[in-house]
Formats: sequence, C-alpha cells, structure tokens
Amino acid sequence: MYRYDEFDERFVRERVAQFRGQVERRLDGSLSEDEFKPLRLKNGLYLQLHAYMLRIAVPYGTMNSRQLRQLAHIAETYDKGYGHFTTRQNLQFNWPKLKDVPEILDLLADVEMHCIQTSGNCIRNVTSDQFAGVAKDEVEDPRPTAELLRQWSSLHPEFVWLPRKFKIAVTGAEHDRAAIKVHDIGLKLKRDDAGEIGYEVSVGGGLGRTPMIGKIIKDFLPKSELLAYLEAVMRVYNSEGRRDNKYKARVKILVHETGEDEFRAMVEEEYAKLDGPTINAPQEEVERIAAYFASPAYETLPETSATLAKAQANDPALARFVEQNGFAHKQPGYIALTIALKEIGAVPGDMSAAQMRAFADIAERYSFDEFRVTHSQNLVLPHVKQDDVPAVFAALKEAGLASANAGLITDIIACPGLDYCALATAKSIPIAQAIAKTFADEERQKKIGLLPIKISGCINACGHHHVGAIGILGLEKGGRENYQITVGGDASEHAALGERLGPGIDAADVPAAIEAIVETYLGEKQGGESFMETVRRTGPEPFKAGFTAFIESRTLETEAVG
Amino acid sequence: MAKDHRAGSKVRGDKLPAILMASHLLEGDTVFLSESGWTLDPSAARIAHDAETSAAMEAEGKAAASANIVIDPYLVPVDLTESGLPLARHFRDAMRQRGPSIHPDMGKQAEFAPLD
Ligand code: SF4
Repeated sequence: MYRYDEFDERFVRERVAQFRGQVERRLDGSLSEDEFKPLRLKNGLYLQLHAYMLRIAVPYGTMNSRQLRQLAHIAETYDKGYGHFTTRQNLQFNWPKLKDVPEILDLLADVEMHCIQTSGNCIRNVTSDQFAGVAKDEVEDPRPTAELLRQWSSLHPEFVWLPRKFKIAVTGAEHDRAAIKVHDIGLKLKRDDAGEIGYEVSVGGGLGRTPMIGKIIKDFLPKSELLAYLEAVMRVYNSEGRRDNKYKARVKILVHETGEDEFRAMVEEEYAKLDGPTINAPQEEVERIAAYFASPAYETLPETSATLAKAQANDPALARFVEQNGFAHKQPGYIALTIALKEIGAVPGDMSAAQMRAFADIAERYSFDEFRVTHSQNLVLPHVKQDDVPAVFAALKEAGLASANAGLITDIIACPGLDYCALATAKSIPIAQAIAKTFADEERQKKIGLLPIKISGCINACGHHHVGAIGILGLEKGGRENYQITVGGDASEHAALGERLGPGIDAADVPAAIEAIVETYLGEKQGGESFMETVRRTGPEPFKAGFTAFIESRTLETEAVG
Repeated sequence: MAKDHRAGSKVRGDKLPAILMASHLLEGDTVFLSESGWTLDPSAARIAHDAETSAAMEAEGKAAASANIVIDPYLVPVDLTESGLPLARHFRDAMRQRGPSIHPDMGKQAEFAPLD
C-alpha cells in the first residue's frame, strides 16, 4: 500500500490546521454560512437533513486494518457507532458535530487519511478496480496511476476551482469494474501492437441530470505522457467549460456541445503547446510509487486447495459463499473474496464499529493487512490463501459479514436518499430493503443470477441508477414519492444507459414491479443468458410490455378495492 | 451539489399553520423555534396560526441565522394532530421531525415522544 512521505504528511496536517481555524472563525461569527460552506465542502463536510455528514476519502478504495480500526474508533467516539460506504469508494459518517470535525480530521491524519477532494468543484478522489493487482485479466495494476493522479491533482493550483466537480476512474483490466465510461475521465491501461503499455482515454462520461457515456478521445497515450495530456484536457475544460449554469458545467456537456472531434482537436492543440517533460512525472517517481503496490509475499502454492475443496463439500453454506463471492486470483492457491455489505434487510454499505474491528482483524490476519472498497458498496479481501477460506468464512459469519449474494438481485446499490440527504426527492434505502426481502430466498436469487439493481433518491444519481441492469430513480410527484424504473443500464465495458419502462409508480409497488421484470427475463432468457445478456439481445420492448401489463393489473386491483 | 430544495415551500395551497425549522450550527441537529428560543423537541415547536405570527417567526429565524445560532431556517406548513401537535405536511419535513425511517433508534424519534 502507498505510505505518505513527508510532503503528503505535511500537506494533510496543514489542511487540518487550516480547517480548525476556519471552524473557529465560523463559531465566533467571523465567517458567515455563505463564506464557510465552500470551505467546509472542500473538507468533505456537508449539512444533511438531520445532522452534518463527513465524507472521508479512500483513495482508489484501498485500506488497511489500522485505518479501519481508527474509523471504528471515530464512529464510536464522535458518531453513532457506524459508517456508510458509498459508490465513490468513500466512507461517510452521518452524525458528526461541527465542533468535533477538526479532531476527527486529526485522527484521520494519524492513519494517513483525509477528507480532501471528497467534495467541491475540484478533481475528486480517484477511483479504481476493486480487484486491482489481483485480477487475471489485468494489463497492469491501475493503482500506481491512481496514486500518481491523486498527488498531481491534490496539489495542482490550477484545478482547484473548476467549473464543476471532476471524477477520474482507472482500470487496468479488460473487464471494466471501475465504471470508467461514466466518469469525466476514464483511463484504461492497455498494450499497443508493439507491446508498450499506455492508456485509452475517455472523456465526458457521467450520470446525473444528463447522463452520458464517455467518448474515447485518445486511443493510445504512451504511459509516460499521462500527466501532460490530462493537463491539456483539464485546461480545455477549465477555460471552455460553462460556469454560468451549474447543470451544464460538467465536462460531458462541453464534449457534447463542442462535438467529440472538435474537443479532441482542442485538447491536441493545447497538448502541443505544453512542455510535456516539465509536467510528466519523472520515471524515478513513477517507479517509487509503483513499488508501494508490489505484490505481497505470496507463498508458492498449487493452483487449487484440497483443504478448501473438502471443506466446501462438507459445508454447503461455505460452498455457496465461495461460488458467489469468490474471485479468481492471478496467484495460484489464492482467492479474492467480496464481502457484500448487503445482508437481507440491512442498509446497503453500512458497517458497525464492531464489524469494522472484526473485519480489520480478518484483513490483517488473512489478507496481508489489506482490503478494498468497491463502488457497489461492498468490501473485498484481495489476497486470501484458499486454505484459509474456511477460517475466514467462519470469522465473517461471526461478524455478520458472510452474505453470499455478491452480484445477485439482493446486492443492491442505494444512495442515502431521503433518509439522510438534503437533496433527496424520495427514499432510496427502504426500497432496497423491500426488494431484498422480496427476493430473500437463496434458490430464487441463484435462479435469477447476476442482476445489479441501482437506486438513487434524486436526479443527481449517486446510486448510479442509469447504469443499473434495473435502475430505480425516486422523484417527487404531486407531493408523493414516485419511482421511475429503467432496464438495460450497464457500467461495464459494454457501458449503456437504461431505458425507462413506463410511468413512475408508488414505493409500495416497486418490489412487485421488479418481480414482473424478473418474470419477463426468465420468460425471454435463452440458455444460460444473464439478465443483461437477455436485455441486450431483446432490447427493452418485452420488458416494457411486461411492465405495462403489471401497471394495468395494479390499476384494476386498486379499482376493485376502491 | 445541486441547489438544496426546501420542502416546506413546495407544499401547495394553504401555508398555515406553520412551524419554523432550521439546523443548529454547532451540532447540526434539526431544531425548531419554540416559545422561548430553539428546541430539539418537535412537539415543543411554536405554531403560527396566522400570517402575522409566521412572519414574526420567520424574522426571528433570520436573526438567529445572522447571529450564527442556526442555519437555513424556513417555515414548514403543518397539520395539527388530535392533541394539537404539529405534523409536517411534506414527507421531507416530516422525515426531519422524526429522524431516518431506517433507524428508529436514531434522531428525534429516539429521543422525544412521537408526534402522532
Ligand atoms: S442521488 Fe440524490 S438523494 Fe441520493 S445521495 Fe445523491 S444527491 Fe442525495
């Protein structure tokens, strides 16, 4: 894992001291709320419906046990004993007091964490593949790139007040688990014909009010030219991006309005003017960073473990867990495990302080003291010896963390929604809970197979509903909560936006509507097709028809009762 | 962040009776203007039955915001329960009066008598 050097350490401590001073001035009245708000947002502090909310950066979703124990300590001392993992691979505390925040930031700095770049119109915390450094289909570990971008963007004076927030994601794998096509910039590490490593660069993806899939503006950028090229992209955006209308200020609108080719030409022109060598990171620095992400000291083991095979044969629950939550590791004898924070009826992404401590122990003992946060609000133990899986499973079960539903219909992404969020137009979490309960039966989940449902409580789309195989958007209509349903969204390398099935429905009708959609799928499915494969083949029409039939039957029922 | 929307002002029709809701600067908690100062207890909120009172309460809220006691005060239209307690008409404001629906053990609902 990356460790702070003296510059990182000083930078973070200075920011804490600065914020401490800002809070003091706010409390003594020398700063008004209008003056203070942009400052607190720069430090990840929001004001929500019931309390302040503090968003902590987890750069590219990588953490160690010491950090998680510190988060448990903060949760218990300054919050209500739990934290919430988000779709940005971050962690949020929902109940901190303003006066305690400087102290919390100091505690975070003690374990090399901070809240910088989790909010505001800057380059946000860079996200990545949760299986970075582990996946077999990887050209190169994306985390050194993500770390390089973190350092470049945190200290870059030119990009501190962008027209709007700016999100970058990096993947090094063929299969995109980092949703790069719905980020402002998406980077994919690849090889060219000569075998050299570089990046495919996409710009202008994003969700929210105007969802768009990113456009590839550079097929192959040599690895060493990354920072200068991104600097050119940022400069074009910084000077041409709209500042008059916040709904049109994201780079996706600029790319869309300018046109892909014209935008590419503008970037190239800017790039030609830049003095690359003064901007690009020196090779020693790239190597220094990469060294932090070297593989841990794996043992030499056979490809598969006889111990695990035997344990699985004796314990169907363990077998189900491994089958559903296990991920093939590049190192023989090892496996990566997804820990779905999605027990039936739980709040997606929530973790109690006790669970944090138990999980920290597990990661320390069985996964080289490392774990990852996924954008699906789950965690990953990246390096577990297959021989150890039975012991890990037992420890996870004990902590209530052994849900064997990764990727299934009950592994739902849900933003905080109206239960917490000041911007929400409808609840999101209770919808996820109701759907999970409807599909709680394990056999039924297995029969349905992979089906990512994603729910947002307003148009801002933090729950990524546009790219859910089934997406649910909660809005307010006539003083009531109302839910629009889409199918066919995809955040992977087949990135696509979902299509709406019909009019919005009441909260109480959502689980039955999802059942109707699932029935359509099971009826249309050919062979071993997943939900998404079926939708890709049939298009949304049969799903629209099934949904319309559902709405009609509902209306008849209501009329009969009424 | 997009613009914060305030539910109270979105309620159609009659805006009375009303209470005044805000966030406490230091704690972040939702607070209500009471007969004397600010209260955490949704049952203790002062209720405006006429335009004159609601205007006076709104002015008091603005003054408290300038004095750095509360943030973002606004009038919330309510219905009165049988026992005369103010229940926000909009579901967003009602959520603030109660606390998160998914955590009955947290927020107002955990600390104060229920409104309804
Ligand atoms: S999608 Fe809307 S409701 Fe959900 S967290 Fe984002 S801003 Fe809040």
